Amino acid sequence: MRPFVRPSPMPGLSLSLGITLTMLSLVVLLPMAALLWQGASFGIGPMWDVIDRDRVWKALLLSFRVAFFAALFNLVFGVLLAWVLVRYDFPGRRLVDAAVDLPFALPTAVAGIALTALYAPNGLFGSWLKPYGIKIAYTEWGILIALIFVGLPFVTRTVQPVAEEIDREVEEASATLGASRFYTLCRVIAPMLAPAALTGFALALARAVGEYGSVIFIAGNIPMKTEIAPLLIVMQLEEFNYNGAAAIGIAMLAISFVLLLAINLLQIWSRRRIGHV
Amino acid sequence: MSETPSSHRPRFRSATEEPAPVRIGLIAFVVLVLAVLVLAPLGVIFSEAFAKGWAAAWKALQSKDLQSAIWLTLVVAAIAVPLNAVFGVAAAWLITKFDFRGKAVLITLIDLPFSVSPVVAGLCLVLMFGANTMVGGWLVAQGMPIVFAIPGIVMATMFVTFPFVARELIPVMIEQGRTEEEAALTLGASGWRTFLTVTLPNIRWALLYGVLLCNARAMGEFGAVAVVSGKIRGKTATMPLAIEMLYNEYLSVAAFSLAGLLTLLALVTLLLKSVLEIRYADQLAATRRH
Amino acid sequence: MHIEIDEIAKSFGDTTALQPVSLAIPSGALVALLGPSGSGKTTLLRILGGLEYPTSGRVLFDGADSTGLSVQQRRAGFVFQSYALFRHMTVFENIAYGLKARPRKLRPPRAEIARRVAKLLDLIQLPGITDRYPTQLSGGQRQRVALARALAIEPRMLLLDEPFGALDAKVRKELRHGLREIHDATGLTTIFVTHDQDEAMELADLVVVMSMGRIEQVGRPQDIRERPATPFVREFITA
Repeated sequence: MRPFVRPSPMPGLSLSLGITLTMLSLVVLLPMAALLWQGASFGIGPMWDVIDRDRVWKALLLSFRVAFFAALFNLVFGVLLAWVLVRYDFPGRRLVDAAVDLPFALPTAVAGIALTALYAPNGLFGSWLKPYGIKIAYTEWGILIALIFVGLPFVTRTVQPVAEEIDREVEEASATLGASRFYTLCRVIAPMLAPAALTGFALALARAVGEYGSVIFIAGNIPMKTEIAPLLIVMQLEEFNYNGAAAIGIAMLAISFVLLLAINLLQIWSRRRIGHV
Repeated sequence: MSETPSSHRPRFRSATEEPAPVRIGLIAFVVLVLAVLVLAPLGVIFSEAFAKGWAAAWKALQSKDLQSAIWLTLVVAAIAVPLNAVFGVAAAWLITKFDFRGKAVLITLIDLPFSVSPVVAGLCLVLMFGANTMVGGWLVAQGMPIVFAIPGIVMATMFVTFPFVARELIPVMIEQGRTEEEAALTLGASGWRTFLTVTLPNIRWALLYGVLLCNARAMGEFGAVAVVSGKIRGKTATMPLAIEMLYNEYLSVAAFSLAGLLTLLALVTLLLKSVLEIRYADQLAATRRH
Repeated sequence: MHIEIDEIAKSFGDTTALQPVSLAIPSGALVALLGPSGSGKTTLLRILGGLEYPTSGRVLFDGADSTGLSVQQRRAGFVFQSYALFRHMTVFENIAYGLKARPRKLRPPRAEIARRVAKLLDLIQLPGITDRYPTQLSGGQRQRVALARALAIEPRMLLLDEPFGALDAKVRKELRHGLREIHDATGLTTIFVTHDQDEAMELADLVVVMSMGRIEQVGRPQDIRERPATPFVREFITA
């Protein structure tokens, strides 16, 4: 049996181990254990009763459904964007590249009120769309736009380095074998980018599912219609209903966990397909 | 014999490029989408802030509550970010300089906050340190409340920004390996001296990069902080929370002026980040990752 | 196929990769482009394959000007130095790629593709590796799979860029004979790039010695050995 820590001449093992574990426990692990503890002492039956209400189900469904579609948009657009940034040279490329990170850097509440101001019926875009009977703000579409915004950088940033690494000779080989450029893109390049794109998709999805700040302003928070799951947690907390909040929180964690596990498995499968790198 | 003087555009299709119309079309498409999705919100923040002129925006920022919100945000970031930086360096050192069982589990746990909703993060802290809990009750009795007070805001901020520095450092330190530290040790340098004179100079730009991202997120965090702060005006309302309150009270100019300040911070962050990426790309293994 | 290179020149920005060069390659020949790195031999090969467009000059295939013919239309079997096998495809999928990529009308039926792949695997003497991935093959096997993949499209010529460059000495010797045999079996005009004069002398019918973007000498191996035309050639082949 191999030792727990392989002997090493490096200094600072106990110090770095101590800092890491203490801070990880205090900031992340113990609070998360407190959530699970609250759920356990409340009981599975009562927790289920909290979740098994129309309003909660609708909110959970809404959160995951819209997050999924936002991540899906970001998957497709993110891959395109990464490809354009890596392969094409055009004036302002650096600026575009930097702009991709804005959703990371911009506080979510700021993004929320800005998007609302744009898409509200009296806003810049909202007033353009109003004559056509299209409402964005205070509908599911508004939530979708907010979640697309916050998840925008993930896929691009994971795909970019992989796209940069693609060996041009492989593309040339495909062309010399008679394949059209489109065929090469679909059959040779897309499979190479797939694992990274999936990683980005998973990150964008995880972020979108839990997103709160940018959504609550534009969503309108109409019960049963545009209420997202994190908002229900906040509402339970405002009524000091800790058990209810814990139940919904645990449900969200559980669903996220299952989703991310599924994506991980998909990724392992696609990496295997890419061949034993 | 046909002369095509040094033109890089061959008459026939290059093997590794899409045809020009496709290229131009794609560039136009992504630029347009980014303009609508990213640039437009940016523009609207400033146009709303200055809707009633510069003076009105400036005056709105002078209110006492907003001043205290700005101050609180700075204080929280000044505590949370250095603590996370210390954690990040320690964790990266532990993970890259030693081999031990459960390393993969440790890395997963460090990344955990990325897949937890900020609201759930806040909820966890309330359940751990709330006045009605064992730990929280005891702390309140000692006169050290966490929830609805500054320590809670700091902890919530730390939770959501926890992985940033470590994530940036780990790939860089893996790439750099252990040989330089080993060399220093064989030359008789102490552990601290090795760290300060060998490791730190090698990772300083990556560290700065991680701190930058961590700080931007820390100053802008909303969901987690909203849950633990109690939103006491002038006391526990950070800048993002103040924005929400002003917005809900239809004080648009004030809300967007404050938002404009945070946007400036975001733009400065992006600028510094780009500078780091351009100048020290080779020292940021994780340049493109978050 | 008879190949004629007529005053081909190539520059990348300010650097000149090829001075105007001319060369006629008879149908069915096995030709070596020999020279040190930077001599322009790979550029010339890539121009023949349609991967690079010449700055000036023409390429004629069987007398027809083919300078503007796209890579896809050239049907040049190209073997890359890195082999450029598709990592996410099995050996079978790699070899079948060029046939499957054809437009529907010209695409052979599935059974025909399988038959041809099997035949090619026999030709390269690697039957039974159809389901392996490139990373599970040795260097020599990869080279031969790349060769089979290039042959699958029924090419009009075979172009190889440093085909033995990435192999160790022993495998290199074996595969030289393999290439000769495949050339003799298919009768394809074959051009390979190398910096190794032994390889060129032993394998080729015709050796083209290049330096600094110029052709120094063209001739049969023994002519070049016995009567080097320039001091460069003399130095290079005795080095």
